[in-house]
Amino acid sequence: MTTRFALIDCNNFFASCERLFRPDLLNRPVIVLSSNDGCAVARSNEAKELGIKMGEPLHELKRRFCVVDGTTMKPFMHSLLPQVVAFSANFELYGEISRRVAATLARITPRLELYSIDEAFLDISKVDIADPEAWGRALAAKIYREIGIPISVGIAPTKTLCKLAADHAKRHPECEGSQYIRIDPADIPVPSTGASDKQAGKWRLLSSEATKAPQEGQALLENWAKLLTPTPIQDIWGIGWRLAPRLRAEGIHTAMDLACMPPKRAQQVMGITGRRTVAELNGISCLPLSSHHKPQQVISRGRQFGHDTNDLDTVSAAVARMTNHACQALRREGRLAMRATIWLMTNRKKPGFTVTHYDVRFYTPTADTGYTAHQLLTMLRRSFDTRHAWHKTEVTLWDLVPDTGLQTDVFGAVNPAVYTHSTALMAAFDAVNRKHGKGTLHYAAEDISHAWYPRRAMQSPHYTSSWNELPLVKAL
Amino acid sequence: MTSIVPEAADLGTDVEVHAGFPNAAADAPQGTLSLDQLLIPSPHSTYLFRIRGHHWENVGVFDGDIAVVDRALTPRHGDAVIGWSENGELIMKRWREPGEVQPWGVIVATVHHMRHP
Repeated sequence: MTTRFALIDCNNFFASCERLFRPDLLNRPVIVLSSNDGCAVARSNEAKELGIKMGEPLHELKRRFCVVDGTTMKPFMHSLLPQVVAFSANFELYGEISRRVAATLARITPRLELYSIDEAFLDISKVDIADPEAWGRALAAKIYREIGIPISVGIAPTKTLCKLAADHAKRHPECEGSQYIRIDPADIPVPSTGASDKQAGKWRLLSSEATKAPQEGQALLENWAKLLTPTPIQDIWGIGWRLAPRLRAEGIHTAMDLACMPPKRAQQVMGITGRRTVAELNGISCLPLSSHHKPQQVISRGRQFGHDTNDLDTVSAAVARMTNHACQALRREGRLAMRATIWLMTNRKKPGFTVTHYDVRFYTPTADTGYTAHQLLTMLRRSFDTRHAWHKTEVTLWDLVPDTGLQTDVFGAVNPAVYTHSTALMAAFDAVNRKHGKGTLHYAAEDISHAWYPRRAMQSPHYTSSWNELPLVKAL
Repeated sequence: MTSIVPEAADLGTDVEVHAGFPNAAADAPQGTLSLDQLLIPSPHSTYLFRIRGHHWENVGVFDGDIAVVDRALTPRHGDAVIGWSENGELIMKRWREPGEVQPWGVIVATVHHMRHP
């Protein structure tokens, strides 16, 4: 049974979401900025065409372009430079659109892996699809029409090839959002060692007249080779900027070169994951859908402050909020923590970069927000360092144990009544927040100060999550 | 939008079971009526808008009402739809010509509060 996967990749996802209720922004360069409006993390096609790079800082963009605040459409500074419309990140909106896409995909098959906020793999091996490329085009058209954002679909026997196919579809409008790579591993001769043999092997398979179905087989191989040959190795899924130079040293520059690399050599250079990548490029699936959730060993929640600060109340409020978020995640995982840590960091880019931490051990494992926050904040107040301007905080929960068999500590001091009370309180707390929205119930310590909130000066309305911010339509 | 009656399980309270005369209603179809079920048969393609302006008052659509808009529907002649004006503003209008470009979405219902909460 051959495998078949589909990758659904939302094009320029955050920028596309910002356009959903803003037809005036169609065909205009749009960017979305990172936390604290630092740098561009999403770019519309028009913004890419202007040469805006991923991660380009806002202050540099302001020198090259006339940056316009997307919420007011007012430029920061009037100039004749090309206009770029900028937004602060609006994760409430992006999360909602992502959920809608996932819900649509889940109706095709339950074999679904949500890989990131804007990418999902489907295992469609058992879905009856006559023409995969047409199926992909229809799916892209359906999601654009019904949800309102453009996607690219890559279909192939392996996840690695799906990535290549989806990238190709994204860059070539004539694909109409869908690219299919069909490759039967049996058609590809096992390459022998040696560079000259490798070249020969490649050309032999392209010009082969002896395959089982010469006409069809050759067309398929040509399509596969057409996609692999121009793809530089750093664009292959799983080959990062660290592995790419090592491969170039081996004379491997393209996906095609890598596909022809002898598996043993691939393993020597890149380890077992590299060997898997080579197999995957040849149509042999090694990476199954990983929808099953791995239990976390550590849970961490962090946030950059809106402005660097040495104010204890400001930092305390941020720590309380992060503790609340981390404990909620801990309870969702069905776990208890035996250790918690606050990290404080100054700005990495400024001289005198400092990191400090405050550690608390719990003799009784806990998932109680109030208890954990109280312990951490007491520790913070006792030894807070005001000599530094703190840039960021993180709260980490460690030494996690399942919340089923509660282990007693060395002193045997677990008080079952306290434990039961805490569990019931947290269950009610989570139920209220599930029903009425995240943050409806929270701890007063989170409200001591809001001065730490990240700057999101250009954030679009919470169109889909706030009754007061629904998109407006003019009755004409 | 959520159902009107909170479910006991959501609030973390235990449901008590009494022995006695069997509850005939237990076998009846389950569930509380929900406006979502009535107005939003296709949640993934439905968005809510706030209506601004008084031009549709003669057909009972008022400033401040909420429009339930389904993008998945094919517009039919006479449907109220959301389109956009030349300067890219979203506008509510009647769908006339089948030759027109696909509108943003079709308005399936509007919600008008008789008394504001």
